[in-house]
Amino acid sequence: MTDEVYSDLMREFKEGKYVFTGELEPEKAGNVNEPIEMAKELLGLVVACNVTDNPQSFAYVSSLAASYKIQKETGMECVYQLRCSDRNRMALLSDVLGAGTLGIKNILALAGDHVSLGDTPDAKPVFDLDSTTLIAMIRKMVDEGKDLGGNDIEDPPKLHVGGAAAPGAAHLKAEVGKVKKKINVGVEYLQTQVVYYTDVLDKFFNELGETDVPILVGIFPARTFGQADFFDKYVAGVDVPPDYLENMRATKQIKDKEKKKEEVDRVNMEFFTGFLEHLKGTPAAGCHMMAVGYPRIIPPLKKIIE
Amino acid sequence: MIAQEQKPMEEIMGYLEGKQKVVVMGCGGCATFYGTGDKKAVDSMAEQLAKEGKEVTKIVMPLGMQACETEKCSIFLQKNRSAVENCDAIMVMSCGDGVQVVTEYTDEEMGLAKEVYPVNDALGLVGGGPKKLKETCQSCGMCELGKTAGVCPLTACGKGLMNGPCGGVREGDKCEIDPDKDCAWVKIYKRMEKLGKLDAFEQMNDPHEWSKMKRPRLFELEKPMGMMDMMGAMMNLNTISGYMSMMFAKPPAEEEEAKKE
Repeated sequence: MTDEVYSDLMREFKEGKYVFTGELEPEKAGNVNEPIEMAKELLGLVVACNVTDNPQSFAYVSSLAASYKIQKETGMECVYQLRCSDRNRMALLSDVLGAGTLGIKNILALAGDHVSLGDTPDAKPVFDLDSTTLIAMIRKMVDEGKDLGGNDIEDPPKLHVGGAAAPGAAHLKAEVGKVKKKINVGVEYLQTQVVYYTDVLDKFFNELGETDVPILVGIFPARTFGQADFFDKYVAGVDVPPDYLENMRATKQIKDKEKKKEEVDRVNMEFFTGFLEHLKGTPAAGCHMMAVGYPRIIPPLKKIIE
Repeated sequence: MIAQEQKPMEEIMGYLEGKQKVVVMGCGGCATFYGTGDKKAVDSMAEQLAKEGKEVTKIVMPLGMQACETEKCSIFLQKNRSAVENCDAIMVMSCGDGVQVVTEYTDEEMGLAKEVYPVNDALGLVGGGPKKLKETCQSCGMCELGKTAGVCPLTACGKGLMNGPCGGVREGDKCEIDPDKDCAWVKIYKRMEKLGKLDAFEQMNDPHEWSKMKRPRLFELEKPMGMMDMMGAMMNLNTISGYMSMMFAKPPAEEEEAKKE
């Protein structure tokens, strides 16, 4: 494993800083104007942003194209999410080389949701590789300059690879067994799926035991009730707490826009203050804030930890 | 065996639009076991087509006479040569293998350019039974069961993942895609736990070698099973005693009920 540091994200991990990352979602559009505007607002608040790859299997602007464009136009460092759902190992390899060529410094290697859950359900699901073998392939490309077939890569890509973990998975031991596979093949950091419950987080860290791999814990402060409700209903492996969901639902009744914003912020601060205070005492290396379109909540949330 | 179900009548009638004389051909293999190509199924299809005003000739293939085997299939097509020659369409009540053997034989051996249509949709290689069946093998050409405690993740995992469950395992260890299905990787974990092989669970399995599945795969048997060999195998004492035991054994469902009572 190389000790080279290619990205600001990895630099912060190595320096032992408490790391904050954000999330940007390309949409079904011929441009990435909105995530670019969001990236501008997040500059200085987070060290890097995930750029989602067809989340929940809804087909959007390519995350590679979006990562490149966002990084180039805003200076925000991107974490290029790359799913196995839609590409065979050749396409994955090409995209990783493409990412290196375009100056992308971080990849989050994901299996991805099944295509049947999204807006193109008749698509042929690929899953030629899984998240573990994708991580192994990327490490081989970066560290050894070789592809899966052992062929030499001229000027290998210089980037880091992260992997996902799901603390809320119904069978935690099997989930942790898989996370350990990722650690064994050289994943450089882990980012968890959204967690709402402190006991779920504690059980996950206990089951995983000690590891040198830095772990970002995912949280999702919702900007609207609709966002929280969508997460609860459609995001695999995540249950939004009913009390939080009800409090968010109540904000729908407020007609005055400013008052509504204030109440949404209050509900989020009320819920996440306790969670983040607890997070400080866990082995987490940082927090991945999936506050999509909701940058104003990030500074007060960061304050709780800092 | 290959599980299958009959297509909707609307689709079947769509193939037969403007056609009058129809041959309905069954299959004495898997389709007979699953009731989609046995005598009853052929009779029922013939009756429905007759109601729609079609002139139907039935070809029933008895148990053991599969439509997918040219040698067996040809006997029944030749016996009904005149109906086959004069028909506007042949409806085959088998999986896609049977449909294509009938197509190839009528075209290349009988010299008849006939429209041959599928009545059934094949749903995969399945095991289990007698009532509940599940797809467990996809004949990938490179069996991985030795690495996964006897459960094939390529088939039993909705995503075909080779290295552990995805992040979407639901309550009750169910699949992200379909809550009625079990998560294959939790099952593998539990099997490995029982076998004392959990260390292996944390080691990466290499990506599957799909090069072993270059389609279409062709085979040549050194010694094909002749009709006499088959008759011998069927009349074998062990075979007969096996079937006799099945006849007198209560099906598992009934056994469960009996226990409850």
